[in-house]
Amino acid sequence: MISIGIDVGAATTKAVVLRDNEIAGYAIIPTGFDFRQAGEAAYREVLSNCGIGESEVGKILATGYGRSSIGFAEKTISEITAHARGVGYLIPAAHTIIDIGGQDSKVIITENGKVVDFLMNDRCAAGTGKFLEYTAKALEISLNELGTLALVSKHPAKISSMCTVFAESEVISLRAQKIKKEDIAAGLIESIILRTITMVKKLGIKHEVAFVGGVAKNPGVVKAFEKALDTKVQLPEEPQITGALGAALVV
Amino acid sequence: MNDQMAENDIILRSLDLFKEAFPGRINQILKSKEGGKKIVGTLCLYVPDELIYACGADRVILCGGRSAPIEAAEEYLPRNLCPLIKSSFGSVIDQKCSKTKSCPHFGMVDLIVAEATCDGKKKMYELLDKYIPTHVMDLPQKPENQNALEYYIKELESLKDVLENLTGNKITDTQLRNEIKSANETRKLLRAIYELRKSDSPPIRGTEILKVVQQMHFLSPDEFKKNLVLLLDELNVTKREFSGPRIMISGCPMAAGNMKVPEIIENQGGLIVVEESCTGTRAFWDLVDENKEPMRAIAERYLKIPCACMYPNERRINQILQLAGDFNVDGVVYYTLQFCHGYNVEKYRVGEALKKSGIPLLSIESDYSGADTEQIKTRVDAFLEMLE
Ligand code: SF4
Ligand code: SF4
Repeated sequence: MISIGIDVGAATTKAVVLRDNEIAGYAIIPTGFDFRQAGEAAYREVLSNCGIGESEVGKILATGYGRSSIGFAEKTISEITAHARGVGYLIPAAHTIIDIGGQDSKVIITENGKVVDFLMNDRCAAGTGKFLEYTAKALEISLNELGTLALVSKHPAKISSMCTVFAESEVISLRAQKIKKEDIAAGLIESIILRTITMVKKLGIKHEVAFVGGVAKNPGVVKAFEKALDTKVQLPEEPQITGALGAALVV
Repeated sequence: MNDQMAENDIILRSLDLFKEAFPGRINQILKSKEGGKKIVGTLCLYVPDELIYACGADRVILCGGRSAPIEAAEEYLPRNLCPLIKSSFGSVIDQKCSKTKSCPHFGMVDLIVAEATCDGKKKMYELLDKYIPTHVMDLPQKPENQNALEYYIKELESLKDVLENLTGNKITDTQLRNEIKSANETRKLLRAIYELRKSDSPPIRGTEILKVVQQMHFLSPDEFKKNLVLLLDELNVTKREFSGPRIMISGCPMAAGNMKVPEIIENQGGLIVVEESCTGTRAFWDLVDENKEPMRAIAERYLKIPCACMYPNERRINQILQLAGDFNVDGVVYYTLQFCHGYNVEKYRVGEALKKSGIPLLSIESDYSGADTEQIKTRVDAFLEMLE
C-alpha cells in the first residue's frame, strides 16, 4: 500500500511517499505563489523520485497552511496533528515537539503519539525562519553562515527587539558599534528562540524534545535551544518532512 | 448517515423569525419615539432592563460586533483598544457625523445608560457623552464585599431617578414586579432551550443559537419571548440531531455581526453546546427573586454576573467548571477580543482550573477583521483532531 503526504507550507512544500509503512522517498520544493501548483509539483516530483506510477498510489493526504487548496487529496489534517504523527514515527521517545518553519512556530506536547496540548505563533515573523532570513541579510551573510558563525561566539550580543523590522535596524547599529559578526549572529538566534522557549514553558516541557521544521537545520539554533532548555534536542535526519510524513501516516 | 444529514437540513422556521423581526422593530421604535416614548441605549448586561421598561421607556443595545465602524472610531480612539468598544463608539460617530447612518439604532437614543466596567469603556463613555447624554452607573468592583450590594442598590436608586426624570413617569413597585416576572420568563425559556443542548445529539447548532441570543436585546422583550416559545416548540419535536466534539465557548461577548470564530468551529466539524459569555449564559442564567423587595432582588441578580472586570472572580471559574460538566464538554475554546485585558488575564486561571478537570483549552484572541481566518482554522482543526 502506497500513501502520499503533502505538506503545503507558506515557504516550502514537502511530499513523502510511504510504502508499507516505510519511507520510500520525499521531495522538498519552494511553494511560490500558488498552493495548488506547488502541491501538484511536489507530488509529481516525489513520484518520479521513487519511480512510482500514479496508478499505484493508494491515498493522498494534505496538511500545512495551503492544505485546503489540494483538491486531489482525499483528506486534510492540521499540521499540528501531522507533525505529532511524523515525529512519533521517527522519534517515539519525543513528547515535546518544537517546529519552526518559514512563517510560524509551534510547540506540541504529545502522549502516546497523540496531541494533548499545543501553542502556535503565526501572527508575525518574530521567532520564525523569516526573522533569521531578514536579519542575516542585514549582516550580509547567508542563512547557513549565520548558523555556523553563531557556534563560535563567546559573547552573544543582546538583541532586545523581537520584531523583525526593529531587529534589523538593531543589527545595523550593532555593526556600527563594531560588535563581532559571530556575536551578533548568536544574539539573533537567542532572540528568535525566546518566544518559542516561552511557549515550551507555558505548556510544561515533557522529555524528549524534538526539533523539526526548516530552522532545525540551523546548528546555531539547535545549540541555543539545548542551552536554554538544558537538555539534548533530538533531530530527525530530514527535519523538514515530518509534517508530510505524518499526513501520509493517517489512515 | 444520509438520513441523518437530511434531517439536520430541516429548517427551523422560528429561527428566521428572530432575523425577520429586526426591521419591524426599528420602525416600531421610531414610531413610539414619535409618540413621545424615550429610548435608552445600553452597552452591558449589568444595566437592568427591568428598570428601563418599568419606567415606560424602550431599550436598544449599542454593542457593536461589526468591523465597518472601527475606522471612524480610530480618529478618536487608540488603535490598540478592544474592537467592541471601537465598533460601538464608531457607530455613534457615524450616526451623528456622517450621512451613511450605519446602524439605525444609534440615532434614536435619548439617553445612554452606561456602567463602570472595564477601563476602555469608561474612558470611551467620557467621549460618548459629547454626542449623546450618558449616565454612567457605578459598580462595586468587589461584588462579594459586605457593603457591595447596598452600594449597588444605591446606584440603582440613582438610575431610577435619572430614568424618571427622562420620562416623567414614576416607577412603581407593581410595574417593577411585572417587568421582573416578564424578564424571568424569558430567562427560563432560554434555559429550557439550553437544556436541550445537554443531550448527546443536540437539535440545534451553536451558531444558530448565538444568532438568537444576539437578538435578545435588539427585539422587544415580548417579541423575543414569543419567538423563543415557538423555537422551543419546534426544537421539542424536530428530528435534527447534531454531533461532533462538544465545545464550550468562554470569554468575551460576540456582539451581533461577530460570528467568525463560532462559524469556523462548526464549519470544521465541532459542535458548540454552550457559551459562557455575555452573548450566552451570562445574559440569562440567574433569575431575579420574585419574592423579595424588587430593587434588592434586581441588585442581587445583576451583581452575580461573573464578568472579568470583577475581583475576585472565582465565581466565573466555578461557573465554567459547572457548565463544562453539565453540558458534557470535550474542550473549551477561550475567546478573547484583542486588548481585552480582563478576559485575557483571567484566561490563565481558567486554563489551570480546566486542566485539573482534564478539559483541554484552546485560546483564540482575535479582532473583527478577517485577516486571521486561516490561522484560526489551523488551530481549530488541530484542537478538534486532538479531541476526537
Ligand atoms: S463582558 Fe462584562 S462589561 Fe462586557 S457586557 Fe459583559 S458584563 Fe458587561
Ligand atoms: S470585551 Fe473586554 S475590553 Fe471589550 S468592552 Fe468587554 S470587558 Fe471591555
